[in-house]
Amino acid sequence: MNNDDRIDQAIEGQLSDAELEQFQRDALADADLMTAYVEKSSLHGQLMASSDDLVRLLEMDDPVVVSTPKRWFSAGIAAAAAAIVATGLTWIFVEQKSGPKIKAVATLEQAEGCRWAGSELPTAEGSRLPAGTLDLVEGMATLKFDSGATVTLEAPATLEVTSAMRCRLVEGSVVADVPESAHGFTIDAPDLEVIDLGTRFGLTANQFGGSHMMVFEGEVEVRKNGEETAKLIREGHGFLNGAERATMNREIERSPAAHAVRARNGWLNVSTAVGAGKDSFMRRGTDSSMGAEPLMMVKHTDLEQGANNERRGILTIDLQNVDRTQISDAEFLLDVEPSGFGFSTMVPNSKFAVYAVTDDSVDRWQEDLVVWENAPAMEDGSVLNKITQQVGTFQVLRGASAATQIQISSPELSEFLRNDANGLVTFLIVRITSEHNTSGLVHAFATKEHPDAKPPTLSLKLK
Amino acid sequence: MEIPTVQTEAYLRLLAQYERDVTAYVHSLVNRREDAEDILQEAKIVMWRKFSDFEQGTNFKAWGKKIALGLILNYRRKEKTRATSPVNQEFIEAVAAEIDRRGDELDVRGEALQNCLRKLSKPHRQAIVWRYYEDCEVAEIAERADRTESAAYRLLSRIRKMLAECLEREIGVLNHE
Repeated sequence: MNNDDRIDQAIEGQLSDAELEQFQRDALADADLMTAYVEKSSLHGQLMASSDDLVRLLEMDDPVVVSTPKRWFSAGIAAAAAAIVATGLTWIFVEQKSGPKIKAVATLEQAEGCRWAGSELPTAEGSRLPAGTLDLVEGMATLKFDSGATVTLEAPATLEVTSAMRCRLVEGSVVADVPESAHGFTIDAPDLEVIDLGTRFGLTANQFGGSHMMVFEGEVEVRKNGEETAKLIREGHGFLNGAERATMNREIERSPAAHAVRARNGWLNVSTAVGAGKDSFMRRGTDSSMGAEPLMMVKHTDLEQGANNERRGILTIDLQNVDRTQISDAEFLLDVEPSGFGFSTMVPNSKFAVYAVTDDSVDRWQEDLVVWENAPAMEDGSVLNKITQQVGTFQVLRGASAATQIQISSPELSEFLRNDANGLVTFLIVRITSEHNTSGLVHAFATKEHPDAKPPTLSLKLK
Repeated sequence: MEIPTVQTEAYLRLLAQYERDVTAYVHSLVNRREDAEDILQEAKIVMWRKFSDFEQGTNFKAWGKKIALGLILNYRRKEKTRATSPVNQEFIEAVAAEIDRRGDELDVRGEALQNCLRKLSKPHRQAIVWRYYEDCEVAEIAERADRTESAAYRLLSRIRKMLAECLEREIGVLNHE
């Protein structure tokens, strides 16, 4: 047998005890043989250590048939793992033990109306998930980590599953429910790290920067990037990092022409960006106007009235250049956008009402002045029946994607538009559905200040 | 046992960074996979227990390898099902010394390995997956590939040889860049 063969057989465990011992003696005496052996055995070691990458690499080209790896837990390892349960660090070893081949660390328990964008992990309900990224475009998905922690992902969101005790929220919102057994479960956000101490909390990582976190039950530790010490946040309290309002105050660049009047197949689109159009929202307890915001935020609660938990949208569309008597059909269009505030988990599928304001004097409201206290067609928080008319309702499903567009069409809407006298039509957007926790989702719709979504628009069919 | 969070984190960070190196090291020294995995398991526990001895800022990889080597030598000694051999012990120490001596060079090969794997033909990649991902014995690979056992073994040898040659070239390229 030549030496190359002997090396391979030694590595593959094909030599008898006597042959192996002879080989080892020879290698100890022969530096070249030793060098050759070390080259091959370290290649073998590297292949062993990178089996994870190996399979991914192979899947990139022609698919290769891969069945489930055979070996899981040897008895010795199970015992070793059991012996260190007391350290509270069991998962490190157990989790890494079950890998590197499958290393599933969580189960996708529930996927409610989910649409996924090229996630690298399986997305069927009940799938076992190894480390990797989930990219949820629409819907709500619940992950049960093997540590016992449950994380509900609210679209749009991107979550990186790291281990049974850790994940990273790249963007979007999650609500985590962490039992005693998963004490220490950690969620990383781009700018901070939330360590759970047995609790229920929500975390939102905003694409514009500034994560915020809210503790519903129990307590958590929050550590900002670059800071040594963590801060303890107790039940009912939140933590806001940095520029909460980055999304609100950022400079909006838009081309005015983009939202101008356009015709499509005999339909005429007129948005709030046209002429004297305007859009804003009013928030109870806030006395600054929101007219320049890219989002119209809408929220409703039947819970104890907090200072700021009611928001309504208002908008006016300029139809002065349209022969309104010729309107035969009309659609009211709104683009749903993530607000970055609150959690869908706390709000069921939500119903909204659109009120048309029949008193033309109201059309004079001003974007830079309108606030809750002086909001037109409202008194003590109630929409005034005398001068308004409900022209439609719509639903936003839990976890609706940012790409959702609301369309409302009704005979009342067309009628209202035909009968308008001054060419300015004003609407109020009110949420009817209450949240069941004060951290419920704030819904948002694009306004004319939004950089890429469509502003509120009337689509009109003329005779 | 109360675990200070900061220390746990520091440990996990270092482990995540160097785990692959330690894993490759142990598998280079211990050819039976089950043994190697038991040792790795134990090594991570021991490293954690002894982590307070580790001097921050020094070489975690070398420290981890040293702990693993201690365990490998002891593991062999404690093993009762097979005759212990002083030659075996000496051999492992010699191999460890050689790996140590060539440390960086072998690490670079680890990086180049991915490129070389990519260049293998489909049947060869399949064999590698069977052997290193699914943990098949040579006999089983023979069965799956419909070859004799010695042919399957020669196939693996050949693939490893091709990989080794490719690595030479890859590293040559790297060194000239």
